[in-house]
Amino acid sequence: MKKGVIVAVGILLMAIFVFSAPKIVLNMVQVFTSPSRTEILQNIIDQFEALHPDVQINLISPPYSTAYQKIYLMLSTNQPLDIVEVGDWSLEGVVELGKLINLQPYIATWDASKDIVPGLMQAVSVTGGIPYIIPNGVYAKALFYRPDVLVKYGITTPPKTMDELYADSLKITDSKKNQYGFDFRGTGLPTNFIDIVTTSYLNDIDPNNMYKLTNGQLWFKDPRALEGLKKYIDFYKYTSPKDSINWGFDEQVNAFVAGMTPFLFQDPDTTGLLSTMLKPDQWMTAPLPIGSSGKVYPSYGFGGWGITTYSKNKDMAWEFIKFFTTPKISAYFCKDYGALPVLKSVYDSDPYFSHGVFKAWQYMFEHPDTYVFTSYPLNNKKWTEWNEYQQDTMQQVLLGNMTPQEVLNKWYDFWKNAFSM
Amino acid sequence: MVRLLEKRVLYVKGGAKSAPLFIFWMILPVILIISIFTFYPTVNGIILAFENYSVFNFSNIHFVGLKNFNKILSDPLFWTALWNTLWWILLSVVFQFMLGFGLALLMRDPFKGRGIYAGLVFYPWALSGFAIGILWSWLLNAQFGFINDILMKLHITSQGINFLSEPSWAFFSVIMVNIWYGIPFFAIMLLAALQSIPEELYESAQIDGAGVFSRFFHVTIPYVSSTIFATLLLRVIWVMNFPDVIYGMTRGGPGGTTNILATYMINIVYYKNDYSLASAVGVFIITLLMVYSVFYLQFTSKHGSGEF
Repeated sequence: MKKGVIVAVGILLMAIFVFSAPKIVLNMVQVFTSPSRTEILQNIIDQFEALHPDVQINLISPPYSTAYQKIYLMLSTNQPLDIVEVGDWSLEGVVELGKLINLQPYIATWDASKDIVPGLMQAVSVTGGIPYIIPNGVYAKALFYRPDVLVKYGITTPPKTMDELYADSLKITDSKKNQYGFDFRGTGLPTNFIDIVTTSYLNDIDPNNMYKLTNGQLWFKDPRALEGLKKYIDFYKYTSPKDSINWGFDEQVNAFVAGMTPFLFQDPDTTGLLSTMLKPDQWMTAPLPIGSSGKVYPSYGFGGWGITTYSKNKDMAWEFIKFFTTPKISAYFCKDYGALPVLKSVYDSDPYFSHGVFKAWQYMFEHPDTYVFTSYPLNNKKWTEWNEYQQDTMQQVLLGNMTPQEVLNKWYDFWKNAFSM
Repeated sequence: MVRLLEKRVLYVKGGAKSAPLFIFWMILPVILIISIFTFYPTVNGIILAFENYSVFNFSNIHFVGLKNFNKILSDPLFWTALWNTLWWILLSVVFQFMLGFGLALLMRDPFKGRGIYAGLVFYPWALSGFAIGILWSWLLNAQFGFINDILMKLHITSQGINFLSEPSWAFFSVIMVNIWYGIPFFAIMLLAALQSIPEELYESAQIDGAGVFSRFFHVTIPYVSSTIFATLLLRVIWVMNFPDVIYGMTRGGPGGTTNILATYMINIVYYKNDYSLASAVGVFIITLLMVYSVFYLQFTSKHGSGEF
C-alpha cells in the first residue's frame, strides 16, 4: 500500500514536471533597473506568458551601475541571453561586440513599424544605419519646477529663457535658509546638463552633431560658447549648493523633492519617481528655457530591446518585442515608468501623453525650430571616454583649478582629435 | 602539531614513510584554494596590466607593453592620488595609533561598566567600512547633515560647511572618519598587550622610585613595543588598501581631490571599464607594498616583532 502511494506520487511529480516544463525559455536583461520598473516589466512578462503558455521569460535585473559590465560579460561569453536592453549611449559599444542581430528582416514584415515616431528608427540605427534594437521609450530633458516653492517668492510662471531661469534662481537663493535655485548636476556624467546651457548661446548647432556648427567647425573656440559655459558655471556658483559638485541623479531628485532647488532639468522617467514622492500640485514641467540664441538643443535619449546572435529562440524573442511595442503595452510601460511612447498612435489615442506634465514635451516636439532635437556623436570611438573626461575637467573648473577658456580649449582638442579634423 | 599528526599517522597507517604524503594530501586543498583564489588572480592581474583588456572590446586583446603605465603616469589625477595616499596613510595611522593607545591605557584598569564601555568603543570596528562611509556622508552633508545642524544651532557657523565638496575639507573629512574608524583596532590590540604586563614589574619599579612617566617609558613601552611595531606596520598596509570609507563618502571627488590609489583604481574600472589600466595601478600599488614589506621584514627581524 505504502509502496503504491510512493509510486503514484512519484509518477504525479514526474507528470507535473514533464507537462508543466515550458518548451521555450527566454532570458531577458534590463539595464535601467529600479524596483518599480522591474515590477512593471514583470507584469508585462506575465501578460505575455498568459498568451503564450509554452514560454517562460526570466527577467535579469542587475543594478544600473553595473548593468553594462554584466551585459558585456554575458554577451562576450555567450551566456544564455535572448533579449537585451541597451541604452543609446552604450549602443555602439554593445553592437561592436557583434552579438546583436540586425532586426531589419523582422521589421520589414512588421506592420506596426510604420507607427514608430518619425525619425526614431534612424536615431537608433547609429551603427552603419542598421537597426539593432527596437526602442521601448524615448527620453528628452525638460524643465521640472516646484510651483509651491516658487509662489512664496512671487514667481508664478516658469522661466522661458536661460536668463530668466538664472534671474529666478538667483532671486530665491539664500544659503542661510538652505534655499537655492538651480538643481545642479556635478557628477554622474553631466554631459547633457553642461551642453544644454552652453549650446543655447549658439544659434547654428548642427542637429546631427551636438559638438559641431552647421558650417562643420567645432564650436568650442566660439566666444558664444564661452558665454554659455560661464552662465552654466554661474548657475553652480551663485544658485546651487556647493555640495552639488557631488550630485548625481539621486541627489538631484532628493534636493528637488525637498524643495531646496526648485528648478531641475530632467528626463520624463523622473515623473514616475516624483509622482510617488510629491503631491500632483507640487511639481510641474515646462519646455527647456531657451538661450540668447533663441534656441535650445535637447537630445533624444532612448533605450530598446535587441536580440542576441546566439539565441536559440530568436523568433519568440521577436514575438515578445512586438508584444512590448503594441499601443496598449507601450502606453502602460511609459505611463508607469515615465518614458515618452515610441508609437505615434499612443500620443493620438491616449490624452495622458499630451496633457499635464507631458505637455511640455509635446510643446517642444511641436516647435522644432526653437527646440532643435540634436544628436550626440554616439558612434564616435571616444564617446564613452568623453563623458568622463568632460565631467572631470568640468569639476576642475568648478573648483577653480582651471578657467572656462582653458577647459573649452581642452574640449576643442579632444574633439578635434576624436573627429580626426 | 606536525609531530602530533605524525603520531596519529603512524598509529593509523603503521608506517613512518607515509607521514609526509599524508601531510601533503592534508594541505593540498588549502594550497589549491589559495592558488585558485589568490595567486591565479594576482598573476592574471599583473598580465592584464600589459594588455588592452577592456569590457568594450573582448575581440582584440593583445600585449601593449608599458602603454598603460605611461597613461597613468601622465595623468595628473594619478599623482594627486599618490600624494593623497601618503598623507592618508600617515595621518590616519598616526592618529589612530595615538588615540587607540590612549584609549587602551585608560581602559587597562578595571572600572564599573568597562565591558559595556569597551563594547561601545569597539563597535565601529565591527561595521563595514563602506557603510561607515555612507553614514558619515549623510552626517556631514552640507544641507541636511546632522553635524552642520548642530554647528548652526550652536551658532558656531551661520551656514552649512561644505565638508564633502570643498576639496580641503573633503580630504580632512575622509581622514577624520578613517581615524575614528581605526581607533578600535589599536585599542583592542594594545589593550591585550597591556593586560599581559605582569603587575609585579610596576610594583618593583615603584619601589625603585619610578614615577608615572618613568614607569610608562621603562616598563609599559618596552613591554608592548613588539605589538606596537607589528600593528603599526601592518596597519599601514591595510590603510593603503582601504578605499571603503572614501568610496562611501566622496567616491574620490570632488574632482579627484580625495582619491587615494585604491579609489583611483576602482574609478577606472567603474567609469572607464578599462581593466588593464586599473591593473596597471594595481601593479603600482603591489610594487609600493613590496618595497614597504622589504623594509618591514628587515626592521622586524632586527626587533623580533614580526611574529604575526
